[in-house]
Amino acid sequence: MHPILSDRRRFLVYLIAWMMTGVLIARLLVAADLTNWSFALLFSLPLALFGSFLTSSAYFVCRSLPFNRRSFSLAALVFASAALISGLSWLGLCYGWNRVLVLASDDVEVLHLSSHLLVLFFITGFAVYLLALLAFDVYIAFDNIREAERREAASRLLARDAELQVLRSQIDPHFLFNSLNSISALTAIDANAARTMTIALADFFRQTLAIAEKEKISLKDELRLCENFLAVEKIRFGKKLDTEFEVTEEAESALIPPMILQPLLENAIKHGIRNLPKGGLIRVTIFQREGWLHIAVENPVSADPGNSTGNGLGLVNLRQRFFALYGEQARVSWQRGDEKFTLEMALPFEPNNQTQ
Amino acid sequence: MNKRLQVLIVDDEELARRLSLEYLRAHPDLDVIGECETGLEAVDAINRLNPDLVLLDIQMPQLSGLDVLELTGRRSGVIFTTAYDQYALKAFDLHAVDYLLKPYSQQRFDEALGKARKLLIQETSASSPTSSSTQALETLLAQQSEKLQRLLIRDRGQVHVVPLDSIDYVEAQDDYILIHAAGKSYMKTQSLSELEAQLDAGKFVRVHRSFLVQVTAVQSIEKTSKDSQVAILKSGAQVAVSRAGNERLRALLS
Repeated sequence: MHPILSDRRRFLVYLIAWMMTGVLIARLLVAADLTNWSFALLFSLPLALFGSFLTSSAYFVCRSLPFNRRSFSLAALVFASAALISGLSWLGLCYGWNRVLVLASDDVEVLHLSSHLLVLFFITGFAVYLLALLAFDVYIAFDNIREAERREAASRLLARDAELQVLRSQIDPHFLFNSLNSISALTAIDANAARTMTIALADFFRQTLAIAEKEKISLKDELRLCENFLAVEKIRFGKKLDTEFEVTEEAESALIPPMILQPLLENAIKHGIRNLPKGGLIRVTIFQREGWLHIAVENPVSADPGNSTGNGLGLVNLRQRFFALYGEQARVSWQRGDEKFTLEMALPFEPNNQTQ
Repeated sequence: MNKRLQVLIVDDEELARRLSLEYLRAHPDLDVIGECETGLEAVDAINRLNPDLVLLDIQMPQLSGLDVLELTGRRSGVIFTTAYDQYALKAFDLHAVDYLLKPYSQQRFDEALGKARKLLIQETSASSPTSSSTQALETLLAQQSEKLQRLLIRDRGQVHVVPLDSIDYVEAQDDYILIHAAGKSYMKTQSLSELEAQLDAGKFVRVHRSFLVQVTAVQSIEKTSKDSQVAILKSGAQVAVSRAGNERLRALLS
């Protein structure tokens, strides 16, 4: 958005300022005893109008050179040549407009454009344009700072929401109470299984507490968390739940935000496996390629769309969380096929340099 | 009153069902006549077997325990089991319906059974058909349907879940209604006024004595003669609109 042309009030003020400049030029011409008032105004006002439009174009020159992609020499070159072109066109116009007026008035030359005066016009056109370029540059810089601040505030907010969500998912009451109920049932049926489940549940909760405070964890840690989670869920759902992990060794060392995979598995069970009488297989594929970490989760879903539970809010949240953490640098997409749900995400691959 | 009570267990988790079975062993006067893994199975079993008592899990995929009650019309002889459901619990606390919070003890289980048994005796002996627990369940289901996003329709042993958004219009027939949604129509035994009361008045308008339309499904209203008009729906269907209905519809469309 052009800061002047897109705002009616600013545009008006800008035009008035230029008209006053036109009057000033006329005043100077008269004071130098070069011409009379009426011709001076006739000469300078249309030129000022043209000048106002010419100068406002400086904004686009600034915009074409984003700060993060410009070198000093390039900026100097572009600015200088833009100002040069402006000075020349200003000069040409002064000269041409004077000729037109002289021809139209069919009179002797009212304003004699001496070479001194022409040089003066050129310098004015050059300098004014250069000033405009610098002014717009400063304006854009301020605008960028404001925008960055706004983005940062928004992302901080999102990050906090995400944190809250992490905390909330740690204590998903359904998961906890249902698991405890399963343990209660197992004590009479299979005491060993009851013990295994208690330990897996405890490990899972301990891990969520440990990683929730961290900004990034290694994929290996996240996978361990998922293992404990699945150990609990496999006892709850029995043969219905089957999982398959395919993770390359180099991907395992990647750093990722905590709890991005576990909620996906939870979703796959809640909205997929649980709705199917025979259950199914959740397949997780993780690999690294060309600087990206690719994560895919695939699970069967009921073919009847009326049976789908949930509204994808969890997935939208995940996408927002990614945006807060990575900006445009990460991607989450999902699609629901006839009997299959696939979720794919890609995030910048960050190797874990710490030796552990 | 020495009749053996028949019990149905409904829970989607096997271990949870086994726990109930284990606790029930202490009650030799009860017969477990079935176990259901899904709400659909439960609807079928309740209709077929008409058990005296149903141990009903609330959170189940596809059809929740409350959906099962809505579909079967069952209002008594229910003990809810749930891991956590703030909404339902609040409703239960206000009324006489019993519920078991997972995980629960044998003692708590026995108490709930004792209470249910007492209620069953009251109901069979009392002349009034509506006991306090029946009323409690009615209230609960009414509250539940206030936040309703879908309609449950049972049709010849099949259960259809119809999202409210997909409904074009509903047509009243003799003693049932026809729900037209996404190119299909479903039959439900309910009166049009009853359904209208359950639905959002800002989205569904009674345009005629026998028609209820979803506002967003309406394409245009056209006059067919001096005093009558029809609403043309986006699906191409035409629905008669009365004069009063026309005013209501236009008020919402504008």
